[in-house]
Amino acid sequence: MEGSDMQEIVLKGFGEVVKTITFRIRRYDPENKELPKYMEYKVPIQKGMTVLDSILYIKEHLDHSLAARYSCRMGICGSCGMIINGKEKLACQTQVLELGKNLIKVDPMGNYEITKDLVPDVSKLFRNHETVKPFIIREEEEPKSEFLQTPEQREEFAMFTDCILCGMCLSACPTSASDELYLGPQALAQGYRYIADNRDLGFNERLNALDSKHGVWRCHFSGACSEVCPKGVDPALAIQLLRQVLTTNVFVKFKQKGTTKAPERKSVSGVS
Amino acid sequence: MTIENKKGWIFWFNPFKYGTDRWMYALHRLTGIVLGLYLMAHVWETSNILNGPVTWNKIMVDLDYPFGVHYGPYILSAILIAASYHALNGIRLTIVENGLLLPKPYRPEFPYKPKSLKGLNNVLKLAVAIFMLVICGIGIVFIFTGAIV
Ligand code: SF4
Ligand code: FES
Repeated sequence: MEGSDMQEIVLKGFGEVVKTITFRIRRYDPENKELPKYMEYKVPIQKGMTVLDSILYIKEHLDHSLAARYSCRMGICGSCGMIINGKEKLACQTQVLELGKNLIKVDPMGNYEITKDLVPDVSKLFRNHETVKPFIIREEEEPKSEFLQTPEQREEFAMFTDCILCGMCLSACPTSASDELYLGPQALAQGYRYIADNRDLGFNERLNALDSKHGVWRCHFSGACSEVCPKGVDPALAIQLLRQVLTTNVFVKFKQKGTTKAPERKSVSGVS
Repeated sequence: MTIENKKGWIFWFNPFKYGTDRWMYALHRLTGIVLGLYLMAHVWETSNILNGPVTWNKIMVDLDYPFGVHYGPYILSAILIAASYHALNGIRLTIVENGLLLPKPYRPEFPYKPKSLKGLNNVLKLAVAIFMLVICGIGIVFIFTGAIV
């Protein structure tokens, strides 16, 4: 399906057509039980086109059956992670011309099951994320006022809150490649993010998941997760810091720094 | 129906496209496996001393001249390189995997180069390289000439 007559189509909003680039895309159709195979498409690349734009071009003009996962087209939703020329990248954040290649190979993310073509089934990512209880755990049921936090205390975990759950770190991780149950860089980094938060009191509740056979000790610091993270979350750093907390915990029991409470709120209307 | 897409253990040895740390990880695994096999072979080899001096001497010569060629020193050198890398990188990993010498959490800035793989971690990598050069240099000269530099 190489629509040579289609190549006159010029998309609005992009620069002039620079050259034609071949996309070799791994296709898998769940309905006919064939193994995945590669198909090639020739796309006229205009200045400013990203890999996602090219995939959408293929979908619109060359092969409607191609499936990909995307939403925001601006690197925020974390849906469009795929393996582009051998490395995990957000398709919407990857300029085709910047890759500097005439052949671009696109694979779905690894270490997930594939639903169709470039669509991975990321439920594993979310399951692992849930396992580490990614929320602030407190004793009181209903706080009456804010928990105060100094800017310095916030800096201790602020960078790890940038995670957009794209799941590319799990795809790049060599441990996830061989250990299916491994929590993965994303979940472990989030585990640390909440443990490092002075408002949180859930250290012991998370310990079971983190300090387990498929938890934090499975990391071997290959740094691939940090290398591919599109938001600079540096999950590898979080995992090592988490390990430090867990190792120290053996000798000196971990104690949350704690937070001071703001004075109790009186609602303006008098109904609290 | 979804389909399995695991990269599998073979991916351990595919460090291309990622950074230095990923390379060192692949080498660490590889040398670990090589040394494990070597250790077993080594135990078997030395256990042959129980079979008397004749067998022992024959095995010593056989191992020094595999396939009739004097490969022995090269094999020993390779083991030395693997062992020194695995040991030194192991020390580096023990340090950084306990969160030591790593940066404090920072504010990521575009283009988002991870700082945990740089800075003092890089200094440690350099130290691994330097110590390896020294150890392997002295060792290999000794293996081939018997001289201690
Ligand atoms: S840590 Fe980075 S790579 Fe991993 S899911 Fe979050 S944003 Fe994606
Ligand atoms: S489409 Fe949202 S991150 Fe790429």
